[in-house]
Amino acid sequence: MGWGRIVMVLAGAGAMALAGSLFLVSGEQGPQAARSPLRTPSPADPLTGEEISRASEIASATLRRRMTTGQVELLYIERGDDKAAEDRRRADAYIYDYAANRFIVRTVDLAEGRVVAERAGRGAQPPPSRAEGERAAELLLADRAHGGRIRAAYARAAGRPLRSASDLGLRALVYTPRPAHRGAGACATHRCVRLLVRLPDATWPDTTRIVVDLSAEKILTLEGR
Amino acid sequence: MRLSVFPAALLSCALLVTCGAAAPAGALTPAGAPASTSTSAGALTSAGVSAPAAPEPACGSPYLIDQVLPNGARWRLCWEMRVIEGLTLTGVTYTPPRGRPIKVLRSTALAQIHVPYDSGEPRFHDIGTLGENAVTLASADCPGGERRERFVCVTTRSRGHGYLKSRPGEPNLSAQGRELVVYSAFQIGWYTYLVEWAFSDDGAITPRVGATGSLSGFDTGPEHGWPTRAGNTHIEQSHTHNIFWRLDFDVDGRKNDVVEQYDFPGSGTAKRTLSRTVFTKEAKAVTAPARWWRVVDTESRNADGHRISWEIGNSDSARYRGPADEAFTRADLYVTQYRACERLASANPAPGCAASVDRYVTGQRLTDPVLWVNVSYHHVARDEDADPMPTHWQGFRITPRDAMAENPR
Repeated sequence: MGWGRIVMVLAGAGAMALAGSLFLVSGEQGPQAARSPLRTPSPADPLTGEEISRASEIASATLRRRMTTGQVELLYIERGDDKAAEDRRRADAYIYDYAANRFIVRTVDLAEGRVVAERAGRGAQPPPSRAEGERAAELLLADRAHGGRIRAAYARAAGRPLRSASDLGLRALVYTPRPAHRGAGACATHRCVRLLVRLPDATWPDTTRIVVDLSAEKILTLEGR
Repeated sequence: MRLSVFPAALLSCALLVTCGAAAPAGALTPAGAPASTSTSAGALTSAGVSAPAAPEPACGSPYLIDQVLPNGARWRLCWEMRVIEGLTLTGVTYTPPRGRPIKVLRSTALAQIHVPYDSGEPRFHDIGTLGENAVTLASADCPGGERRERFVCVTTRSRGHGYLKSRPGEPNLSAQGRELVVYSAFQIGWYTYLVEWAFSDDGAITPRVGATGSLSGFDTGPEHGWPTRAGNTHIEQSHTHNIFWRLDFDVDGRKNDVVEQYDFPGSGTAKRTLSRTVFTKEAKAVTAPARWWRVVDTESRNADGHRISWEIGNSDSARYRGPADEAFTRADLYVTQYRACERLASANPAPGCAASVDRYVTGQRLTDPVLWVNVSYHHVARDEDADPMPTHWQGFRITPRDAMAENPR
């Protein structure tokens, strides 16, 4: 099941950077993108692939340098459906600024071709993107104790060693610290996720005490109830 | 009873019941047109039914669902697979047989699936990017229907007896009801969630979610679970699914919508009294025996002169109440003034907006109400839940009240 394929775009004359400007590209869209790009969309139709690409480009126009260095990440594009502008084709770009731990939503008016609203803040966390889930899994696998346990469970289930995070069925969920939890206080301001990991035998090793702090690129272990 | 923010004077506001005229016992109507699912262009393919033209739909093929049911009732709506909320329905309009189109909902989608386990941990907010976890449906997963863009099934099914009335010396007056069903499946960890809305030929809507797939396999002590598998070595941890729906009602258009709560006090006495509470400001409410709510258009009336409304019944909830940091679980229905950034009941992904539905209720005056319905199901595993886990359902009912002047048959 596909996320829109994400390609790296060369920023300026720079070399391809791993955390280059990210654009969701038309043609191979996730389920949320309209698959009928040939006609003009009606107001309540999902965004077309072309609209998603254009919205991504417009929303990230002023962020490209920081996206290249991985400080800022475009997570996904959602159709804007504010009642106050329901006759407009609008797109909300969900952006996370890792350098400042700030969540930004930029609303793009597709007819005007510009950002018409921006809301930003700390604390609220958007759901993780697929790329963030994969990064979290790589961090988890690189962790000696927890990663080793997942690798061993995978080898038992698959009968062969784990090659990469893409061998796992992944589902990342935002982790917000609860008063009773110890060991993950940083997640009050950092971007943290929990991972649900499916093995080839359709079992799920217990990963509920593990939190991946994507901001600090650290693995945290929850203590307490 | 928790009625935190409405004027006290209204709490005991009694209403005289002036019953609408009973449905006329007319002769059997001729058989309606066969159910038809609109095809690629969303055009009606039914025969013999001429529903009045509805306003131009806001979506095109394949996002338009336009269905005439055998009794001549017509449902029209748009679907969209949103990244976060997943399957979202908009512009939901019902046209009764021989009636005019009536808008019911501007939009509806899931607003959270909160899953706290009985030992206290873990506690999941399962709406992340639901739309990215939609399951590709096979033909067999959409019986008798049509798959839209692989992820959405649009079909119809029987809903049993619409009515059955015996008549001395004559054949029974009866009909089988039918409903349009729109659903998608989402894989969230070990669970597969079936997210479904049924739109019935009598104007009722049944939103529900079925959880299937697998149990988590989390082991716990006997005080928090039930032994599954052979013997008593594995205790599967019990848990609750607290499912929230967001419903932006626009009954017969955006204007003049008011939310009312109805109660029938009189327990232990021979008489019950109808009591109406009007929510003039944002409100939290809990379920109670015989309690229901309705969204009523104060201007639109049916042919009997009664105000058009849709009623919300939420009587099947296990009524989970969580700890202080999960205050959003402490009511079964929230009524809030429309705000575009208020989308999820918890973990709301909007900077500069409140984080959860309990905090959306700030005492603002209601002119464009949005309803949030919370239905809990407590799952204590049993041996029969072995893979693949049988579906367990939870949901609620939205029923027309005086949208028509008679049984819409």
